[in-house]
Amino acid sequence: MSTDTDPNAEADAPRFDRVDWEAYAGGRTGRVSTTTKLFALTVAPIVALAGYDRVAAGERETVFDAFAAATDLPLQAFGLDFAVTAVDYAFAATLLLFVWYLVVPLFQHPRIASHYWRRFKRNRPALVSLAWLFVVFGGGLLGPLVLNAPEQNILAGHQPPVGLTVAEANVPQCVGEVADGRCGGTWEYPLGTTRGGVGVFTGVVYGMTISMKIAFITTTIVAGIGITVGTVSAYAGGWVDEVAMRAVDIVLSFPTLLFFLLVLYVYGAGLGMFIVVFSLFGWGGTARYVRSKALSVSEEEFVKAGRLSGASTRRVVRRHVVPNTASSIITQLTLLIPGFLLAEAQLAFLGLGDSSIASWGQLIAAGRSDLAFAPWIVLAPGIVLFLTILAFNFLGDALLDAVDPEATTEAER
Amino acid sequence: MGVAGYVALRVGWAAVVSVIIVTVTFGLLAAAPNPSVQQAATQAALEGGDPQEAVERERQLRGLDEPLHVRYLDFLTGVYTLEWGWSEYRSQPVTTALADAVLYTAQYSIPWTILTVLFGPLIGVYSAANMYTWRDHAATGFAFFGYAIPNFFFGIILLLIFGVWLEWIPIVFRTEVPAFSLANARQLAIPVFVLVTGSIGAIMRVSRNESAAFRNATFMKTAKAKGVSPLRAYAYHVMRPTLVPLSTTLVGQLLAIFLGSSLLVEVVFGIPGLGRLTFNALVAQDTNLVLGSTLLFTFLAVVGNLLEDLAFTVLDPRISYDDREL
Amino acid sequence: MRPGRHTIGAAGGPSITRRQWLTGLGMGATAGLAGCSADDDSGTEATDDGDGTGSEPDGTPSVSGTYDTVIPSSFSTLNPLYNTGSRAGTAIGRTLDPGYTFNTDGEYFPLLYDLSTDDGGSVWVFDIREGLSFTDPYGQVDASTFVYQIRELHQTDWAATAASADWTGITVEETGEFQFQAELPEPRLLWPESYDPLLYPVPTDIVDPYVADEDVEGLRQEEALLDLSFTGNLGGYTLEEWERGAGTTYSRNDEYYLRDIGEGPELFSNAPYFEGASIDVVEERASRLAALETGEADSAGIPPERFSEFEQNPRVSTYRIPQPFNRILSVNMRDNGWNAGPGNLFRHTAFRQGLAAAIGKEELIAGIFRGLAQPHYTWQPSWSEWHPGDDAVTQLGTGDRYGGEVARGLVGDAIADSEFGYRFDGNALVTPEGETITLDLYHLAGGETSQLIAEFIGEELSDSLGIEVTIEAIDAVRFQQDYWTAAPQGGTDTVDGEAVSWDRPTPNNPGPRSVTSAESWDMSIVYGLNTYPLNPLTNAAFFDGADARYNPVGYYPEFDATGVFERARSADSEAALQEPFTELFQNLAEEQPYVMLAFGDELSGYTPDLVGPTEDFFNGWDFPAWYFDA
Repeated sequence: MSTDTDPNAEADAPRFDRVDWEAYAGGRTGRVSTTTKLFALTVAPIVALAGYDRVAAGERETVFDAFAAATDLPLQAFGLDFAVTAVDYAFAATLLLFVWYLVVPLFQHPRIASHYWRRFKRNRPALVSLAWLFVVFGGGLLGPLVLNAPEQNILAGHQPPVGLTVAEANVPQCVGEVADGRCGGTWEYPLGTTRGGVGVFTGVVYGMTISMKIAFITTTIVAGIGITVGTVSAYAGGWVDEVAMRAVDIVLSFPTLLFFLLVLYVYGAGLGMFIVVFSLFGWGGTARYVRSKALSVSEEEFVKAGRLSGASTRRVVRRHVVPNTASSIITQLTLLIPGFLLAEAQLAFLGLGDSSIASWGQLIAAGRSDLAFAPWIVLAPGIVLFLTILAFNFLGDALLDAVDPEATTEAER
Repeated sequence: MGVAGYVALRVGWAAVVSVIIVTVTFGLLAAAPNPSVQQAATQAALEGGDPQEAVERERQLRGLDEPLHVRYLDFLTGVYTLEWGWSEYRSQPVTTALADAVLYTAQYSIPWTILTVLFGPLIGVYSAANMYTWRDHAATGFAFFGYAIPNFFFGIILLLIFGVWLEWIPIVFRTEVPAFSLANARQLAIPVFVLVTGSIGAIMRVSRNESAAFRNATFMKTAKAKGVSPLRAYAYHVMRPTLVPLSTTLVGQLLAIFLGSSLLVEVVFGIPGLGRLTFNALVAQDTNLVLGSTLLFTFLAVVGNLLEDLAFTVLDPRISYDDREL
Repeated sequence: MRPGRHTIGAAGGPSITRRQWLTGLGMGATAGLAGCSADDDSGTEATDDGDGTGSEPDGTPSVSGTYDTVIPSSFSTLNPLYNTGSRAGTAIGRTLDPGYTFNTDGEYFPLLYDLSTDDGGSVWVFDIREGLSFTDPYGQVDASTFVYQIRELHQTDWAATAASADWTGITVEETGEFQFQAELPEPRLLWPESYDPLLYPVPTDIVDPYVADEDVEGLRQEEALLDLSFTGNLGGYTLEEWERGAGTTYSRNDEYYLRDIGEGPELFSNAPYFEGASIDVVEERASRLAALETGEADSAGIPPERFSEFEQNPRVSTYRIPQPFNRILSVNMRDNGWNAGPGNLFRHTAFRQGLAAAIGKEELIAGIFRGLAQPHYTWQPSWSEWHPGDDAVTQLGTGDRYGGEVARGLVGDAIADSEFGYRFDGNALVTPEGETITLDLYHLAGGETSQLIAEFIGEELSDSLGIEVTIEAIDAVRFQQDYWTAAPQGGTDTVDGEAVSWDRPTPNNPGPRSVTSAESWDMSIVYGLNTYPLNPLTNAAFFDGADARYNPVGYYPEFDATGVFERARSADSEAALQEPFTELFQNLAEEQPYVMLAFGDELSGYTPDLVGPTEDFFNGWDFPAWYFDA
């Protein structure tokens, strides 16, 4: 980032990430860590359920139905009655990954956690952003369990949000009160309805789920590929580095959106394909970034020392390079997510997205013809999308500050 | 190995990348069923002919009876000799179609690029100079707003406000107005504004942060001590070093935005440029045109990345090309 | 006065310049267009002509302004020989009149030529108007222009023109400089009404080199045909420019032949009355409506939910025009249909009736069409002269013939009839294994109305019959290729106790039910079809036996359809036609070969000072007489 580093600033700045990661990862080498074991333990049921879905559940029933029927568990009571897709399994597995490798470590190391928190707290926009993202996350995770899936009711089309009215001529039937030839909103549809009578509020909440899935799954894949390629490339050097970086060149110059359009054109594509294509071509920047970070880290004395003392390459990369670049990677990924969300929204808006899912882009597209008299259909999901992207950006910016004290933002002066 | 050698190698590599992408594209299309063959059968049956025979004839006409490697080589030659075929959807050669569309895309993307490149760093540096004042906050707010608001969403809302409610701008994009006229400026103002808002933020942020690093550098203090005017000091000592890292991110970022945004903005504002061309070709299943626009965008991306790399090499003296093999 | 034409009365026929293109029946592409054109986004694209008789100004109005229309998507070709799109038909029609049209009373009106028959429709004589000329140096339009075109293009194997299907088996002969005749293999009293004999003149000199080489690509791509630079005095306007993707612009043609014909409205004598015209492609519906509202466009289609709002808007005058394209639920009766379990319940008439009864037409029309549509009970709109009357047909999906009870009753009949053990589990139909029935339903991608209808059907079927419907959006072209059509194969099958042989299979009816498309599918609302109210005999293509030309769903009539059409064909008077048609439509209402839903009205808006548009089906036949009443 900054080019003329001031050695004093370097010394003054608390390099918590370096030292503490060391301490944390210190003693346990060669064995599978507890975290990994726990992760494997929790992810196993998901894999098992996916396997059960493939093998035992009939084509025309959901895996939960099949499971409930087989075990007499009242799963429906918990809202577990939806059809589970491959994307859902991937989402669940990804969530566990985040829990065990990001959330749990923070709890295990309250000192680091509280340090981060103190730094973070000072950046108020980032704090608000985090809160908003928690809302989106929680809404996306719990919403579908609480709210019924968006359902069409054509006679309830174009209902206004609570507190607003719309000309009676524009609605087929007014659900709420009619006054002066204008139809008022009801709490049945707090944010009004689309042309087909789908509640915008429900649509927005279900859109959160989609956005969260995209954010988590793509990030995991991108991080996985990017970090692997980046660190290996940096550490191995030579022809490995060369090949890897040329691969990055290709991935970077590959017009992903166009490529996705081509795939869509030839084979048709849903949300799963979107995630696969965008993450397979989205890791270029991360790999490059990680490589440069890793290169600078591997020049550090402690890495050199490790090498001199005969540590294997794998060990050095795992124990030193990855942990010391972790915070930068997280930052970089945070700034990557909005791109994916935006891409999905754009495709959905163009009518090229997965029409079977209720994403924000889809809602915006559905309402754009009616903007003149029913602006809520576009505004509600549009603003939520805007805020979410904004939040990711603020968060990324704040993390950037935490990682790189040099580039302070105005908010924490 | 000198600069020339490095540049030559880098250009060569860009060519290789383009071939790889073209190959992937070919693979994708070769695996897909060919609509025109089916169409021939339909037609033949309608006229009481033999559909099977028509299929054969059509396959022959399209060269589909050739072995795969021959078709691949033909395809490759076609691509690099600009024989991009006929667009059924537009009833004109694909190259003409692309040339027509580029004209409209250029009409808004040139002002957009100039404005972004001009004002991005300027506002960024200004922001850094006034760091932590309300000016800086306003600029930062604008930057964040710009890259967080989805272009298409912003576009339709502005169109509603300025086109429908205020009637300041025309709603229908008129192709018949001359490129350099007030009418054209009026109809392109909002699209350009939307695009600039979307792209300027990132550049502002980068230049702000970069110049912040220089702001407290020793040479600035020296300059100030010597009584150099603040403006001059900024222009010489902050702008210039800031531009080096900036130029390296600029091309790539602009290209990425260009691909996505041009499509959306053209669809929203009805500009018959490259983005809409691509979109319509996709929807109309005009394979030649889909291919043509994909290739054009691909070449743009490859060349853009090449330029970015070259700029990086040339501008930043800290990178030595000697110890890089490629 | 020629027999068999003028007496048709107000049976209704499409306004010619824009709809002629939709009549190439049996062609999937055409049906596709019909499907699209019935969609919300199409609306009216500047329907062409108008009716000057509404107001009679003193003298002819002054020539002023440009007539600007907006359309949702651009045209792929303006080559009159190859165009099959209705929007391009409008664009071509501005510069080049077709052979004939039907006036506001539904009567034949000759433009370039008059058509007559003396022997009940076997031999038709074409009398070409004198004084028609192409642009220099292509000379005049005469009999040889048309005869050459028919023989060397439409009737050859290589050219594959849009009209080629219309001219197979017809013998053409030049009988004078401005006269030729066509001998039909079997008499067709309503031949002009089928639009089959509609021709657009094209200079022989342009076409000749390609005919010599049999170069179809060259012909399709010929510059002079694409930019319509040959149109001479044949149209009201001259094409200035076709900006691909943006639309067309036209300038007024002073030489228009229509001024001198001495027929039709007085106003023709100084036509046309606009200095120029343009057709702009504006893909966003909101933008098209805004352009109409702000006066940037003089004409645009209006979606149902905005119609009443625009009705009250003084800046727009609205027109609600009935039209013959229907909204149907196609159910796949072929072997690759009904993928929910063994057998295929769609093949049971009672089951199709059950589906029709389960889908509430009133709610559909109120909710999605906002009341601006008519329920569709049989294969004819209610305003058609040939409609047997509401009392004569079963009105499934309305009143006491709507709802779960009725639907389950009918479906119960069907499953009793079926050899497989389908049964009801409560109110839900289940497979013999007791599993839920899941069917897929395809709709046109990008069409908001069609998605809504699909969702509505899904919920209705779920509510009444417990059938789960998976809704899939699909591109029209892909659906056409992999689902709706198949490689013609032919074969034989037993239909209603009789052996039927598919001797001339088409992609849209590739053979018996065992011949299937590449992809399996259950239900679709992708395509709507024309019901041909002007000449219902044309519907023979859909229902003339199981081997009819156009039968993608594999419908086997359970009444003597071939016999009915036979009687209709041999009818020697209009009155004699009514009886077989009544029988036909009663049977179709009963059998629901396609589950019929609604006829959505065409909703258009015009600028208020425009004089010409009429609120009837023939709106737009005399576009040259339209003018601005400034």
